[in-house]
Amino acid sequence: MATQNNEEIIIEEQLASLKTKNELWSKIWYFRHIYLFMMPAIIWYLVFAYYPMYGIVLAFKDFQYNLGIMGSPWVGLKFFRNFLTDSSFYEVMRNTISISVLKLVFGFPAPIVLALMINAISETHIGFKKVVQTVSYLPHFVSWVVVATLLQKILSPNSGIVSDIMISMGKEPIFFMGKTEFFYPMIIISDIWKGIGWGSIIYLAAITNIDPTLYEAAVIDGAGSWNKLFKITIPCLVPTIGILLILSLSGILNAGFDQIYLLQTPATLSVSEVLDTYVLKRGINQGQFAYATAIGLFKSLISLFLIVGVNNICKKYTEVSLW
Amino acid sequence: MIVRKMTTSDKIYRVINYTFLTLLAFTTMYPFIYFLALSLNDGFDSMKGGIYFFPREFTLDNYVKAFKNPYIIDAFKISIMRTGLVTALSVFFTALLAYALSVKGWPGKKYFVFFFFFTTLFGGGLVPTFILYRQLHIYNTFWVLVLPAIYSFYNAVIIRTFFTGIPDSLPESARIDGASELGIFLKIMLPLSVPVLATIALFVGVGTWNDWFSGEFFVQNRSLQPASTLLNKIINEASFESAMGSSNSGSSVIQGNQALEQAKQTGTTPESLRMAFVIIIVTPIICVYPFVQRYFVKGVMVGSLKE
Repeated sequence: MATQNNEEIIIEEQLASLKTKNELWSKIWYFRHIYLFMMPAIIWYLVFAYYPMYGIVLAFKDFQYNLGIMGSPWVGLKFFRNFLTDSSFYEVMRNTISISVLKLVFGFPAPIVLALMINAISETHIGFKKVVQTVSYLPHFVSWVVVATLLQKILSPNSGIVSDIMISMGKEPIFFMGKTEFFYPMIIISDIWKGIGWGSIIYLAAITNIDPTLYEAAVIDGAGSWNKLFKITIPCLVPTIGILLILSLSGILNAGFDQIYLLQTPATLSVSEVLDTYVLKRGINQGQFAYATAIGLFKSLISLFLIVGVNNICKKYTEVSLW
Repeated sequence: MIVRKMTTSDKIYRVINYTFLTLLAFTTMYPFIYFLALSLNDGFDSMKGGIYFFPREFTLDNYVKAFKNPYIIDAFKISIMRTGLVTALSVFFTALLAYALSVKGWPGKKYFVFFFFFTTLFGGGLVPTFILYRQLHIYNTFWVLVLPAIYSFYNAVIIRTFFTGIPDSLPESARIDGASELGIFLKIMLPLSVPVLATIALFVGVGTWNDWFSGEFFVQNRSLQPASTLLNKIINEASFESAMGSSNSGSSVIQGNQALEQAKQTGTTPESLRMAFVIIIVTPIICVYPFVQRYFVKGVMVGSLKE
């Protein structure tokens, strides 16, 4: 044991003193366990994350299964031209951006409001606060498959609770899931229902980190609840809101695959088909591998530029940025 | 703190606030209460409507039927095996990666961090992934439900942040006592990180339990499909029996009539069985997450601040 100790100490001394090129190798040798620990991750990422990136060349090839990815002939930008001149592509783009923007406008502020409301619960009602929080987190942990099943029953025109209420009010029941005008409200409401509690966690955490002396000073200056809310709490939340807004903006082409795929019906396709569902149907269901890869690549590239761009702009003009 | 008397407007504000929050909690819970009531009611009786909070003709038949159905049993077996395996592998290997990322000063660290981080910004997309699974021959096997779910850089960042909070003196003194790096990881870092590991286990476990996509698009063999995928199939196919693949009869009208006849006799309809299925599938989640709650609230914070 003692010799091993000495060895460690000697290696550390060497690390501290040596400044030659050999030192790099001795340093790597010293940290060999670290590289060993990373090996499984590196292999996994090469196979499951980087190899599919290489598969992107498919977008520029006329893929034939028997020839493989490499053997298939190059076609250049043919598939990009194809979908850019395809009218259904514009419909899909419009739907994707509409849904994202609607979710941003209605869904983004919802957790902030909830966090402020939960924060306003008095210290003496801690039990109520706990219950509200725990219950509000639940839908986040439930899958969209379950939510879709719940919605389908609740909105069902035969013996769903909504149609029962409508009948008792003397109205005709409606097949909500088959009507284009109800699709966006359904998507936005279910999105808020599922995400509001989970989304509020981060804002609640930010609120608890606010320096309490700010409030004490404000009270001495005669500030009421509203003043405290608008002059202290909300301004202190701005950095958190900023970061989450960057993330949402860069995800503008992700309208929410699971939710939309599971809630769309053939009758609502004209408003519900989004990029991700379109790629899935063209690629996997219809086997148009190259065409779907091209659209997928188009989407990934725009998303990449958006996140890097928005982040750089934020870094330049504000103190808020992701990296 | 200076305590002020509550003004009338403060009181009104509080009443509105509490009412709204109570309504929100109710709206969140209600769909599950509705399904629980329907799943505990005689299926044929449910068709008359009017069941909103409590079962009218109480029965456990729907659950008994569900647990006797070989397709449902198989699907839950796959789900349980898959969730257990993915959670164990993912927590261990992600923590190992996080430990490497938490150690300071090793050469090339920033390049490796970029190597992992880049995958969160850009990916190959669905079709190349699909082709990859076919080339690896994991398409239509149990492994396509396990291997792709092992690593997540986001989770690694959360664990790494926790590790960096552990004082360096602990692993250092173990090194002086002659412990190996693996020993330090297993005997010092992991036991000290139970809160964050529980959080990650919850995230990964719930995500895997809920994942229907892999089973739907990467597995064709029905006996290998997990419960979430089966549930999705049941929603989409008109008759529960046809989703179960057991019907041989021709037209759907005949099937419908048969189902009705069966319902009269047995008190179970495709719909009531589906209600029971939903309750069974969400029960493990409802039982687990409140216990991990105090940990994951921290986990979410840490992840968001360090991302």
